[in-house]
Amino acid sequence: MIYAGIDAGSRAIKVVLFDDENGQIVASGMADQGIAQEALAKELLEKLLHQRQLPTGSVAKIVATGYGRNIIGFAHKTVTEITCHAAGVHHAVPEARTIIEIGGQDSKAISLKVDGTVQDFSMNDRCAAGTGRFLEVVATRLTVDLYTLGELSGRSRNPAAISSMCVVFAETEIIGLLAAGVEPEDIASGVQAAIAARVGTMAGRKIEPPVAFTGGVALIPGMAGALEKVLKQPVSVPADPQMTGALGAALLAARI
Amino acid sequence: MKTVVYSCPFVPAEWIAAHGFGPKRIIPSIDHDRAPSGLTQGLCPYADAFTGEAVADSRLGAIIFTTVCDQMRRIPDTRTSRTETPLFVLNVPATWETASVHKLYRNEILRLGRFLCTLGGERPNNERLASIVLDYDRRRSELRSLRDRMTARQFSEKIAAFHRDGSLESDFDPPSGPTGAGARPTPIALAGGPMLRHHFDLFDIVEDAGGTIVLDATGTGERTIPPPVDRRLAREDPLAALADVYFGRIPDAFRRPNSELYIWLKKEFAQRGVEAVLYVRHTWCDTWQAEAMRMKEWCGLPFLTIESGGDSHVDGRTLSRIQSFMEVVR
Amino acid sequence: MNDRPRMISLSEWDDRYKELSDAGLKEPAYGGPLSRHVDDGDLRLRALRFDNSAAALRLWNFLLTEEDRLSAARASGKKLVGTMKDLGTVPVIAYSSPELVAFYPDGAWWIPCVMELGAGLLGIADSLGIDESFCPVRAMLGAFATEAHFPIPDLLICSVGATCDDFSAIAQRLASLGHSIAWWEAPARRKPDPGEESITLPGGFRAAVDQVDFMKSELQRLRRIIEKEAGSKIDDSALCAGIKAANGVRRILAELRLTVFRAAAAPLPALEMLIAEMLAIHFCSDRTESALVLQGLLDEACARQAAGVGVLPVDAVRVFWVNPVADLRVMNLLEKCGGRICGSEFLFSHALDEIPEDLPPMDALARMALADPMIGGAEDRADRVCADIELFGAEALLISRIPGASHCATEGQVIGDRVRSRLGIPVQEIEVPPVSDSLLPTLSTRIEALVETVLQRRKK
Repeated sequence: MIYAGIDAGSRAIKVVLFDDENGQIVASGMADQGIAQEALAKELLEKLLHQRQLPTGSVAKIVATGYGRNIIGFAHKTVTEITCHAAGVHHAVPEARTIIEIGGQDSKAISLKVDGTVQDFSMNDRCAAGTGRFLEVVATRLTVDLYTLGELSGRSRNPAAISSMCVVFAETEIIGLLAAGVEPEDIASGVQAAIAARVGTMAGRKIEPPVAFTGGVALIPGMAGALEKVLKQPVSVPADPQMTGALGAALLAARI
Repeated sequence: MKTVVYSCPFVPAEWIAAHGFGPKRIIPSIDHDRAPSGLTQGLCPYADAFTGEAVADSRLGAIIFTTVCDQMRRIPDTRTSRTETPLFVLNVPATWETASVHKLYRNEILRLGRFLCTLGGERPNNERLASIVLDYDRRRSELRSLRDRMTARQFSEKIAAFHRDGSLESDFDPPSGPTGAGARPTPIALAGGPMLRHHFDLFDIVEDAGGTIVLDATGTGERTIPPPVDRRLAREDPLAALADVYFGRIPDAFRRPNSELYIWLKKEFAQRGVEAVLYVRHTWCDTWQAEAMRMKEWCGLPFLTIESGGDSHVDGRTLSRIQSFMEVVR
Repeated sequence: MNDRPRMISLSEWDDRYKELSDAGLKEPAYGGPLSRHVDDGDLRLRALRFDNSAAALRLWNFLLTEEDRLSAARASGKKLVGTMKDLGTVPVIAYSSPELVAFYPDGAWWIPCVMELGAGLLGIADSLGIDESFCPVRAMLGAFATEAHFPIPDLLICSVGATCDDFSAIAQRLASLGHSIAWWEAPARRKPDPGEESITLPGGFRAAVDQVDFMKSELQRLRRIIEKEAGSKIDDSALCAGIKAANGVRRILAELRLTVFRAAAAPLPALEMLIAEMLAIHFCSDRTESALVLQGLLDEACARQAAGVGVLPVDAVRVFWVNPVADLRVMNLLEKCGGRICGSEFLFSHALDEIPEDLPPMDALARMALADPMIGGAEDRADRVCADIELFGAEALLISRIPGASHCATEGQVIGDRVRSRLGIPVQEIEVPPVSDSLLPTLSTRIEALVETVLQRRKK
């Protein structure tokens, strides 16, 4: 049977259709988040069903997760993204024992038991300095897109030290660095290092390997490396790291 | 001889020296390469920097924290302070008006002494202690005498060097007079809590902007140099003399009440002709944040607060603020 | 009348009040419908959910009429003693004199929440340079400035030292505005040094005898100050009686906590339990009445337990709560997310434990004061939290940080680490500002995720 997981994040809506009979993802998709979150989610779900030539009623159960989960009225159940990410990563990377998830607005560290259930978790404080938002602000300042920002960081030879705890003040720092002639490559890698440091602080000292890195920020070149430096251990990025929340929601829908 | 490190001015260096250790009062710096503390928002960058620097040195005999602020009192509990180096938390009372808290402080010094003895130190007899107390007193007098022979930055750095390793060498060129025809630098007081190492650059920044720091009333400056000891008391009861100058007579914002701080500032501001105040405080430092507006209202002078938030240098934003401030003041 | 235990809104309480009144509800003089307090500006009540018992009604009315009691006490010639920060010990001394009523101006920290920032107290604190980097207790400055929330006390006493920098700084600012304060020193409680004479304090911490002696000397000094204010001596027998009366309140509360936290189905909700505990620290300005209020809650909890009914589902996840919340609404949120309160450590366990009655009174009070969790290390708190989690059978720990409170920067890590390593239960930290409405989705996610984690563990 087909089950759907909807991750109504703060920046994007992600949907995964999962066939529990063959254990495969049938379809997945993403759309920008907007004001009419429920309608957007429904539209994306129907679009995926249509692409796979599946009738609208073929989804047995739906679980919604993410920031906007309670707005998805047509979901059968809502589950937080912590539990969903754990389920999704365990399916994709069964050996993973720690998940670091960096999204647009928040970041999380989730420690897993051997069976993939959540042992414990921590989330960033109200400041956005350990999130994708910080990268967006910097990318805008450097007039590049996020992916190019990541590529720039790979060419850095002398990462800039970004000290501000606040994204707003950090932006001011970056303006100052540019004015002082610091190379954009060094700024990019400095920002990645700052984000990784904040996330490392949040995650704490006890990180049990293997570590899986998920969330949209995992797709940006250089971030996994920056995280590895801080955590002092290898970090793997599963395929489609942005979709693990929605995947986990779909898997949990199959267990309702 | 092993070194005992601390940062608080209420820790008597003489007592540590008298037990056979090298007292070292440090001014920490922010080290971005250090592993994160694992602590969430709210940790004072000064407390974090001091702890990080202290625990990183595995050769130390001991690290002394005090209860002068919550951050320093509590940080030894945390992972940040995991170290093989023995730690000691000295209870420095906030109140000061009763005999019992003076006795409490004295007993804490004795307890510190017992701690040092467990590390191989030796309790000094009165004669030895008196000799060390008087020697430090003499050298502090010499330190104070250097003020007029140095620039403000040199003097503050000299105070730091003295506290760090007792050095008093005066290897600076004497300060030259004001530059520029008719240029009279505006006398500025630097006030607030303890400084980080990069804050010494503030002296140059102020000077470049047409001012001169005539009083370093920060926690690392003149304010916390213990005043001259009662020499007769030092010979009769050196521990009492020590407790008197350290606990009894260093003005600070954390004291309750902290009226003595304002008495001291009033006298010093008047004597030095202070015309504006540059106030330094660390993010999450409640003690000095709370005094900022009060001090501003009290002194009635142009007053600029600089917040130090974990930066390793004086950043562009702060530089601009000081420059703007000096333009207004001048 | 439907007496089934449930949580209801303020507007539902109007109907419920009518039901109870029609059924012959007997109320004290301060009784009445809860909704009347909204007219006084307590707007937050509209967003809260309350227990529907008559006992809960009495509790809320008792809490929300304290200002009236203080004014009445003054009008009757009593002196008002504003005790600050020590949270539990000094009022015991003050209440031993019939001339005095003691209260904590610190309680003003809830005014921004209860009045939904309408009283402007935080703005006043801002204007005095005490901004949001300080604990919400800064609202106290505004309360003193406006004189609109409690009568200005005749005597102000404040503990400093190893208490809390925020409060100390705020109190010093208050003093700078012309309020005379009798300061007293709370030493930093430490583990006794090897070979140092030590004793066990109420609650289980160990302390050096020297520290107890020092604390005793400070309390003796305060006693003399309080006597001077009262205009008469407080002798040892009066103190003993005061201690006994305080213990009477503490005993009821202890039984209430045991009953509620260990029951299969929670007989009372988290919010009422938080308020109930707060009564212990200064009896909400009426020691006798506070005992009656707590007894009423205990009777209700016992009756519900005997009937096998609760106000929450039996399978609600049992959560131990550390630190009080600046926004009362978040206690409701715990239950909305599927949790129930199963133990608490609101930073004043020394106001809950019984004061020894087999010691000279000042010795007993000194030991109690030294047992203050605030003046010791976070490890001590962590040990106590672990012990209480085991006692109450909690399945998870929630540490609520108070924005700007200096102890919160470091203690969460220490307490969380200790609980995780010793008990292996999940731990989560949240930060709760005075009005948390915009953060409810974020807070919900964290609490819900904690609940989900426990539910998954239950399946194993």
